[in-house]
Amino acid sequence: MAAFLGALVLICSAIAAEANWYFPPPPPPEVFGNLLIDRTSTKNKVKPVTFSHWSHRRKYTCQVCHTELDFAFKANLTAITETENQAGKYCGACHDGKIAFGHVKPNCEKCHNGDRGYGKEKFSELMKLPASRFGNRIDWVAALEEKSISPARSLKVKPPSGISYDNTLLLEAEWDRIPPSIFPHKAHTAWLECNNCHPDIFNIQKKTTKHFDMKRNIAGEFCGVCHMTVAFPMNDCKRCHPAMKESQ
Amino acid sequence: MKKWGVILFLVPVLSSFAYAQTGTKKRRPLPYEYGEVSINNYSSRAGLSPVQFDHWLHRAYYTCRLCHVDIGFAMKASATGIKAADNMKGYYCGTCHNGKLAHGNRKVFEACATQSAKEDMKRCNRCHSKGETVKREYDFAAFIEKFPKERFGNGVDWEKTEELGLIRPLDNIEGVSVKRPPLATQKDFTIGAKVETMPEIIFSHKKHTVWNGCELCHPEIFPSMKKGATKYSMTEIFEGKYCGACHVTVAFPTTDCQRCHTKPVR
Repeated sequence: MAAFLGALVLICSAIAAEANWYFPPPPPPEVFGNLLIDRTSTKNKVKPVTFSHWSHRRKYTCQVCHTELDFAFKANLTAITETENQAGKYCGACHDGKIAFGHVKPNCEKCHNGDRGYGKEKFSELMKLPASRFGNRIDWVAALEEKSISPARSLKVKPPSGISYDNTLLLEAEWDRIPPSIFPHKAHTAWLECNNCHPDIFNIQKKTTKHFDMKRNIAGEFCGVCHMTVAFPMNDCKRCHPAMKESQ
Repeated sequence: MKKWGVILFLVPVLSSFAYAQTGTKKRRPLPYEYGEVSINNYSSRAGLSPVQFDHWLHRAYYTCRLCHVDIGFAMKASATGIKAADNMKGYYCGTCHNGKLAHGNRKVFEACATQSAKEDMKRCNRCHSKGETVKREYDFAAFIEKFPKERFGNGVDWEKTEELGLIRPLDNIEGVSVKRPPLATQKDFTIGAKVETMPEIIFSHKKHTVWNGCELCHPEIFPSMKKGATKYSMTEIFEGKYCGACHVTVAFPTTDCQRCHTKPVR
């Protein structure tokens, strides 16, 4: 009986997902991209760490933390420990009391507070940046282009000059009536290095694109690795499918 | 009611497994983990932990060619099928780990034995250490401290380390290797990239032969000696073929795009 019901639920959910994509309800703009890290905190009787992407990406490009400092692309995957931080790794690379507040006593609760909305009063400082409709409601790409922000590209180890590859790809949509999506390399390489996406997330082989349907994107794979959690969410259809009509 | 709860819980869990393989970001190995190989052909069956082999330590003292050509280790973990009996006869690990070979002012410890007393276990665990809490004789951070730094892999620029003479990897072992005068190496050449505007690759035979001689790559990995005759793609390299035979696992990884794609596009 249980097996039968299980199969039924599986089939129904597959049909439902096929017919209608499920976008998780968007968090308020000042909480979008914020996360709690609790790999060992609670176990060690301290509150989980709050981390806000918007407060960091104003000053540093994604590659600084995700390449140079080697933070994984998923919370709780990186073995961040207090010892590592004290030794100048991970958060401690900046949070050393010089670049940013240090790992010392009165500062503990600035991170270990378990509050995903911590520091939201500072969000108003970002209101002068170009607006967009979703996510943080900030057009980060435009902000970088017009130089309202100038996030650093490296911390200690300077990356090579960068391969200037600004090819914009046109990706056919899986559904007939949906106009193709565009992928501008340049908007991405302004924040990231080639290796942030290749070859793990996108194997360079063109054929692979047929596997990355919207369902998997929304589930957090391919574009969804960033574009649901930190970069503008996929509710913003027109930003990738520019020819899409509002009614679609 | 409880059953439904379990089913509803299992649906998202199971469906996430189905897609777990592609489209997501893998964890990058830590510098000391890079080039680590775990070998378990017969270890578990013999009641031992798998062998953990760290490339970083061995490559500082010996060339790749010595182990992968003269001694005959395959380029894929567990593909060699190393047996304790082979080691004891002086093959594979036993070529050097025989209790006789001198390494500096000491002897290289002996690998494997038919019978082992309890006190021998400590020696067994020096290699059969996967998952064991073994205090390593060489501390990675201290070992690489003075070496030029790189961004990826072991965080060490091995090429420069060798060039500066900070390490002098041995290429010959008496009784195993036959010393021959090296062949003249070709000059550096460019390999065109398939994608337009992608910088060309500059390939240096000289940099490779220091570690590999000719025989490590030719003829198996690159069958043709003629430039441009072997066609391969980045996808194949990522899969561990061609350049990827080393540059995914041991030599600086393919994530370091510009270490190969160096030539400005004209």
